[in-house]
Amino acid sequence: MHRNRRRIGIDVGGTFTDFAVLDADGLRVYKAPTTPEDQSQAILQGLDVLEIDSSVPVMHGTTIATNALLEQRGARTALITTRGFKDMLAIGRQNRPQLYEFSQSAAPPLIPESLCFEAGERIGSDGKVLTELEVPALRELMQDLKKERIESIAVVLLFSFLNDVHERLIAAALEKELPDVPFSLSVDLLPEYREYERTSTTVVNAYVRPLVLRYLTRLGRVLEGRSLKVMQSSGGTLDARQATLQPARLVLSGPAGGVVGAFTLAKHALKTPQPQIMTLDMGGTSTDVALCPGRIPQTTENSVCEIPLRLPATQIHTVGAGGGSLARVDAGGVLRVGPQSAGAVPGPVCYGQGGEAPTVTDANLVLGRLLPSRFLGGQSPHVLDTELARRAIAKLGQSLALSIEATALGILHVANATMERALRRVSVECGYDPRSHVLVPFGGAGPLHACAIARSLGVRKILVPRHPGVLSAFGLLMADITSDASQAFLVPLAEIAAAPKRLVSVINRLEATVLSRLDSDAAQLDCSLDLRYTGQSYELTVPLSLPVTSENVDAAGKAFHTAHQVRYGYSKAELPVESVAVRLRASVVQSPEIPNPDTGAGNTPFNLADAPRTSVYFTADAPLSIPLISRDRLHTGCVFDGPALVVQYDSTLVVSSGWRGMVDLWQNLHLEWLDHDD
Amino acid sequence: MTIDPVLTEIYRHRFVGIADEMGVTLQRTGYSPNIKERLDYSCAVFDAEGNMIAQAAHIPVHLGAMPASCEVALRTFPQWRRGDVVILNDPFDGGNHLPDITMISPVFAGNEPVFFVASRAHHADVGGMSPGSLPLSTELFQEGVIIPPIKLYEAGKVNQSVLRMILANVRTPAERQGDLDAQRAAHTVGEQRLKSLFEQHGKAEVCRYSSYLQHYSEQLVRAAIETWPDGIYEFEDKLELADGLDASIKVAVQIHGGEVTFDFKGTDRTLDAPLNTVLAVTESACYYVVLCLLKEDVPVNAGCFLPIHVTAPGDTLVHASRPAPVAGGNVETSQRITDVVLGALAQALPHDIPAASQGTMNNVTIGGKRTDGTPYAYYETLGGGMGASPDADGLSGVHVHMSNTLNTPVEALEMQFPFRIREYARIRGSGGKGRFCGGEGLVREYELLADATVTMLSERRRHAPWGLQGGAPGRRGQNILISADGHRTVLPGQFTRRLHAGDRLRIETPGGGGHSSARNSRST
Repeated sequence: MHRNRRRIGIDVGGTFTDFAVLDADGLRVYKAPTTPEDQSQAILQGLDVLEIDSSVPVMHGTTIATNALLEQRGARTALITTRGFKDMLAIGRQNRPQLYEFSQSAAPPLIPESLCFEAGERIGSDGKVLTELEVPALRELMQDLKKERIESIAVVLLFSFLNDVHERLIAAALEKELPDVPFSLSVDLLPEYREYERTSTTVVNAYVRPLVLRYLTRLGRVLEGRSLKVMQSSGGTLDARQATLQPARLVLSGPAGGVVGAFTLAKHALKTPQPQIMTLDMGGTSTDVALCPGRIPQTTENSVCEIPLRLPATQIHTVGAGGGSLARVDAGGVLRVGPQSAGAVPGPVCYGQGGEAPTVTDANLVLGRLLPSRFLGGQSPHVLDTELARRAIAKLGQSLALSIEATALGILHVANATMERALRRVSVECGYDPRSHVLVPFGGAGPLHACAIARSLGVRKILVPRHPGVLSAFGLLMADITSDASQAFLVPLAEIAAAPKRLVSVINRLEATVLSRLDSDAAQLDCSLDLRYTGQSYELTVPLSLPVTSENVDAAGKAFHTAHQVRYGYSKAELPVESVAVRLRASVVQSPEIPNPDTGAGNTPFNLADAPRTSVYFTADAPLSIPLISRDRLHTGCVFDGPALVVQYDSTLVVSSGWRGMVDLWQNLHLEWLDHDD
Repeated sequence: MTIDPVLTEIYRHRFVGIADEMGVTLQRTGYSPNIKERLDYSCAVFDAEGNMIAQAAHIPVHLGAMPASCEVALRTFPQWRRGDVVILNDPFDGGNHLPDITMISPVFAGNEPVFFVASRAHHADVGGMSPGSLPLSTELFQEGVIIPPIKLYEAGKVNQSVLRMILANVRTPAERQGDLDAQRAAHTVGEQRLKSLFEQHGKAEVCRYSSYLQHYSEQLVRAAIETWPDGIYEFEDKLELADGLDASIKVAVQIHGGEVTFDFKGTDRTLDAPLNTVLAVTESACYYVVLCLLKEDVPVNAGCFLPIHVTAPGDTLVHASRPAPVAGGNVETSQRITDVVLGALAQALPHDIPAASQGTMNNVTIGGKRTDGTPYAYYETLGGGMGASPDADGLSGVHVHMSNTLNTPVEALEMQFPFRIREYARIRGSGGKGRFCGGEGLVREYELLADATVTMLSERRRHAPWGLQGGAPGRRGQNILISADGHRTVLPGQFTRRLHAGDRLRIETPGGGGHSSARNSRST
């Protein structure tokens, strides 16, 4: 049972804290209301209920860093830049947020003007020191910082990725003069070119660091010595203590767990090490989608609250359409849905908390797709009031001259169009055909919309996880332990191939860095290069096989041409290619088996005719009476045809007609499109 | 014809999505910093009659100018084959200024072109008398290679003669070639997406909604204009010329029911300076202001522009004809036209119109040779103060109105060009005071590491951006030359000069005007 060591995944969300436990008996899940004032309370409660002893390692997904940014309540942070550039963070890329708006405000920068300081120094574009760091000015700067009661410091100097001497000298001064204040050097976090993005990333790190440190320290105490790993944006976990040094790597971890969960689930359920899936994680205010072409996609072009964050993250596209998205009729008489959301308060009209504008959830309710008695197993804090929802949608329907049902269906169609567009963005727009991918819907609402969205994209297979509402916690159990590092490396590819020695020494340095963060000597190393045609300024990341040989470098070049062809529709093998950055990831692979105790033997045969029936609208004219299936009754080997409504504690699935459902060994539900006309 | 309010919304997503996707492709594959880093491009989809259906316009100055290109292409070429691509940049035949190269290509369903896709990108150099092709010219012929509407691709095959002719006339042919390829890649994407729409939903439905969306936008714009008070409102503002004189731009805005007319009668005649514009650019500025005043998010298409009329007498600087120089009309005069229109509308809509913004794009071009002898051409525009609105301070250090391009990272340009940035900062106190303050201007100081030719096209160096309702004007911009020995010379707003290694060019951009007198200041 070595590979099936017990472990627990705990994912803290806005409303619920989700638990997934894996042991020899299989998978158990649990949901507890989140305790926002102290997230560890809900965590402790869950550990108690699930009777988890202190030998069980904990994998944790937290939004503490994300929330600090969203709510602007990070540390009082100072920024030190090269002289002449202290406004770098405020100026950004000098574009305004709205193109057609006379009156607009930009979010205030994370660091106010008064806490941006300059150091007298300059490194040139060849890495040579042009102006030595001015020591007397630095001493004054230290005095200024002391006066300001600073809690965290970011240091970003121009061209430090070529020569870090001045950032290191400042670090030494800070260690001496302000020993209790944590600092973040851009060269440690992101030694890559483009100063604004490097600055914003380093500032985010400094801004959330004290908060994350406090939170994880407290949690560690509460967990009484259990091993604690936290999820990073990249979809890999890292030891909590290491995570507190570079907490910017956690900021986009929220949706990453779900993608890792969907991907590993698909590996088992689809019986392939490289499943091709699209994930659809629909929540209350937004929907996250990702396309996995046989691997979990990674990118460094991320941002949070419009602040660039250039660290590795699972490549996820988010759109403002979710269960709480508001529907309205605009001045031109057209139905619009979102991006405004009813949020938690007042929430959808049917929550009866004073909401007046109908939401996607209200539309699902009046169409019979959500059953009030089954919503969160009947334990929801909200009693769903269908009558309130009908009234609100009727009012909207009047201005469209449409019936209640037609209006509600319209709301779903528009919301689905937004999600369809999101999935197109990650598939066709990136050179992938959605039809050769399996759609994996999860989150509370994903399965409600999956069949309709799949059809509009020509997708023929859907995989509905056994527990769609806690897939992120499941993903925590499955995630590898990883550590990433990168280094700017602006060299023509031909030069690297001819003399790989310089690259080798850079990679050796990166290797020491990434391994030092892992508590293991059995790490797998994956290297990649950011490449572009010489003169372009956008790069594509392609794998580089180790060791660095001329052949492997040439292979990376070929991979670049191919990737360019897939992504942009053309490639030019005759053009010179240059490297911009080198990336290294160390992973300790975790691939626990998911036990499948249900072989289907001895189960009572499932008979669709025995199921109770419920009325659901698929067209506006009249409802269809369709089977209502309780997910708990869908055992291994069950087969049934749509239409049907499948209800379970944490989600509801609409199976439209034309789809056949089959249950696998893990009780995942596979839907397949039966119509072979297209 | 039945129209479904739900499908209308879905088609709006689809068409905008296609234009956006073309834009992303162009940006990702482009070579000019103007395209890849600064997003100085637009992509659009047109119907068979040349009506614009959707536009991904990162640059409002292309609003009216893209439709003009398509119209000319359709007029010039009555016959189309699959794989044809028309290219043009002639300002007096579908273009706006020479660096903006436009491509138009058909999308077939069956044997007929049903839609057209178009892209326009600001190329870093198209030849002419100074690197970067924004010279202080006196006639069009000095501004670069003039491309009338011609087919660069015929039935999918590139016309090598045309291509070689173009590339022979520019300073950085490899980069041009890369940008032209990028535009074509964007077209391929647009064509594929439209074709899959036909396949999935049928030509009839796609066309029905492409035409209904125009009607829908028109309705929304009319409804908005109807809420404006009828009347005629006039305003005048100055354009600063290199010789120290000013040129005047005048407008009379007539609001009548659901329509608005912008009449530029009384504007000065065509100039012997590169600050003239073709009428399409003047239209863009007017369209932009109207779009900003809409409370609803209206899909930008040909329908939007039907209730908006723009007239100007021929041979004026806002309606130039061949061979007037127009290099700076797009970037500078378009900003002043916007100011003039705002000044007039401020009388009709005092609660909506902001004070003047920086009113210039501060165009810097530097060209020369690197130490290894290779030629380069660098072009960049600088942000400044945005005018305060009746309810908010203006933003600082941003591009305003007709432009919204990104800056080039200092680390990117120092690795690419033989100069260094000494300072890049906000100018404290440069925004006009008022109840709401104008945004602050920027300073960007370049130190040359090798001799180079520098051309500046900038405005608001003599006349400050005005405030409104008692708000103070913003600080004027300044161009300063600091020679290696520390001697400072104030340079005019527009100049071409040979500068030497060690010289520093310090550009200070204008602040925005303030709004309302500061008596009721919030700070009390």
